[in-house]
Amino acid sequence: MLITWKYKERDTIIQKLDPRARVIFLICVMLAIMQFWDLRFIAFFLLLGVVQFVLAKLTWQETRRFWLVIGIITTVLSLATALTGRGEAGVYADTHFLWKPAPFHLLGLTLRPRLSAERVMYLFSQITRIVSFALLAVVFPYTIHPARYGITFRRLGLPDKLAFAVDLAFRFIPSLGRDFTVTMDAQKARGYELERVGGGLIGQIRNMAPLLIPITIGSVVGGEEVVDAMDLRAFGTGPRTWLTKLKYEPRDYMLIGFSLVLLIGALMLNLLDIGELWVPMWLQELAAGG
Amino acid sequence: MSRNGHLPVQIADLCFRYRTRKELALHGITFQADRGELVLVAGASGCGKTTLMRCINGLIPRSYTGGQLAGTIRLFEEDPTPLPLTQISQMVGTVLQDPEKQIVGSYVLNEVAFGLENLGLPHQQIYERVEWVLDYLGISHLWDRQTFSLSGGEKQKVAIAGVLAMQPDIILLDEPLASLDPASSQEALALIRRLADEGKTVLLIEHRVEDILRAKPDRALFLSGGEQRYFGDMEGFLDIADYREVKLPAPMVLSQARETQEEVPPPPPSAPTNGRPALVEFDHVSFCYEPEQPVLHDVSLTIRQGDIIALLGPNGAGKTTLIKQAIGLLKPRDGTVRVEGQDTRRVSTAQVARTLGYVFQSPTHMLFAPTVQEELAFGPRNMHFEETIVQANVGQAIDILNLRGLEEYPPLALSFGQQKRTTIAAVLAMQSKILAMDEPTAGQDYRNYTNFMNSILALRTQREDLFAAILFITHDLDLAVGYANRVILMSEGQIAADGPPEEVLADRALLERCRIVPTSLLDLNLKLLPKTGRFHRAEALASLVDQ
Repeated sequence: MLITWKYKERDTIIQKLDPRARVIFLICVMLAIMQFWDLRFIAFFLLLGVVQFVLAKLTWQETRRFWLVIGIITTVLSLATALTGRGEAGVYADTHFLWKPAPFHLLGLTLRPRLSAERVMYLFSQITRIVSFALLAVVFPYTIHPARYGITFRRLGLPDKLAFAVDLAFRFIPSLGRDFTVTMDAQKARGYELERVGGGLIGQIRNMAPLLIPITIGSVVGGEEVVDAMDLRAFGTGPRTWLTKLKYEPRDYMLIGFSLVLLIGALMLNLLDIGELWVPMWLQELAAGG
Repeated sequence: MSRNGHLPVQIADLCFRYRTRKELALHGITFQADRGELVLVAGASGCGKTTLMRCINGLIPRSYTGGQLAGTIRLFEEDPTPLPLTQISQMVGTVLQDPEKQIVGSYVLNEVAFGLENLGLPHQQIYERVEWVLDYLGISHLWDRQTFSLSGGEKQKVAIAGVLAMQPDIILLDEPLASLDPASSQEALALIRRLADEGKTVLLIEHRVEDILRAKPDRALFLSGGEQRYFGDMEGFLDIADYREVKLPAPMVLSQARETQEEVPPPPPSAPTNGRPALVEFDHVSFCYEPEQPVLHDVSLTIRQGDIIALLGPNGAGKTTLIKQAIGLLKPRDGTVRVEGQDTRRVSTAQVARTLGYVFQSPTHMLFAPTVQEELAFGPRNMHFEETIVQANVGQAIDILNLRGLEEYPPLALSFGQQKRTTIAAVLAMQSKILAMDEPTAGQDYRNYTNFMNSILALRTQREDLFAAILFITHDLDLAVGYANRVILMSEGQIAADGPPEEVLADRALLERCRIVPTSLLDLNLKLLPKTGRFHRAEALASLVDQ
């Protein structure tokens, strides 16, 4: 059975907004962020994310797990960038090296952990972008009433089936988390230890099988059962009535207007080549000096 | 949809074979069900009950494609073959075995309205119907609850509400009592009878015949190995029903057992005295998942060598949480849990598993290996047993759980009942000192579960170190009556009673408080207690009464 995110009524301005306006805001802001590599511009959007997070009255305690995942993703991405330099192609041309050891080989890859002023700034910009995306998105599952997921996307223009699929997808994530915990517990009770060492990379992957197989098969079988249950209640045969109704208020129009202004502004700045990677002069001088 | 004058269900010479199977799942099924009739479809696990249901509700052949379907199905004298599933779903409402698999809405209101939304009815009509059905089932107070937070009994009622809202004339219920505590089962049965009395045609699939008798079915269809053994009135059915295939009232088991004179293994030894070594100790344990919602409250108890404990109580009483504390998957907020003297806060679950082997309720969360043999070897290998011992343990577990012939099968392709036995065998092969099982009889017919329970107990008498204590969580009161030497009753996170079954289960008021409904086996045992001195299984009572 699918479970929902830990939603609760908080009596905040964020929860009073129409979820459609909030989806439009999220999409516009995310597209706007993607126009910039300049840390100063991205910082503005980070601030916007912080404001939304605070206005939503979310706490560190309830979003802790989410930030753990984001922390892991940013660390892995940053390390990969620092070691290989991948992903930064085209973002900047000049390089001022701060540190330049000889390349070395690991697992068949040639690693060039050269640290330039540009790469350092690129790294910071990348992390800030990811954290901004995360900060803007994390508010959603905790503050949108689970009964509104489907209707939100239906009224944004998605067809019935797709809108309901989004509803199911939203609930799939916490359900997967629950299945993971139960499976982990069931296997631990059989003496299984994930952190068991040895066996190399293949061995480690094989060691994950007792976790991954039940979760994967469970998801597939569970998915088929959901389809059967929906078929048995006449899903997807004709136009559907959605019981929940949504209605725009003036504040929603204001939010949509603000979102569009942000996006159009960002696109125009991008056309004018404003907002490309920014490397502070002192850092360039430090590199030149080194 | 009114179809007065037409027979709702007519099945003639129905046969079906699944695409991936060689043998027929159904063979030559012929029966009919009239308006206002409650028809019991009974049989052991794997007899074809669920396949029959899928043929009637249209999932076969629409979702189970590639199979071979022969014979006739008529719903209100109409051939449903060319009809789309939506049209059939307005004639036939299906309540699946597990309400968790049926509920797709995140809130009760959305769940009950789901089918009506799909039919495209106007808002006002949907609200009226939802209001009516919630009121009809007495669950109006649940309308704004999240579905996943409901208790087992509530989920079942909400699932039924979602089906009834579509106002089908035929209702199929697949083992609707499987996940309910006894009191919730009683309520569900009363409701099912009412549906039939009000003119619906109800087909009720269940092997717990004793419980179903309370709903006074009008007729019975008895299946065995995919074939029809009987269709007719209940008296005739009870004459031919075999207690090893379906669960019958104790007096009937008694008389059948007398005729067959089946050999009955000795009952489990009585509860040991307090001098025996303690294996698990709970010392004033409290625990909660969410602040201010205690799941366990000040629980103190000791599991000693020689205990065979039945842990009973309503859904949500804290039974599973208690076992998870014992194996160290959860740590107490207050108090201590010690396993063989060691605080569970200081040892890993994998270490505790040597002392306490725990079979989880749902097999799908455990099974992963390519073959049953490999699945069973996983636990013992994790414990670094020598390979010869691993193989010996696996072989023994395969025999005890009746899995011979399936060793090379992938566990994930087995039936639910077989999967459940595989998980029990997988933990059995670890040969821990304590064997803990969560709902071990789920999906098992009487013959299967008595066989493995008897074998486990027999093994225990051969080797004292093996399964020095056994614990099972169950809603099946007869399992407690027939096999336990100690009963722990839980209610709202506390121990409501703890003692020999003859004492605990004799207290009617206590049972009612814990939502336990006495069975005919319990009543019979209590009646014969002055003569027998202790509880026995029905077959054993047969020989004792005769003496």
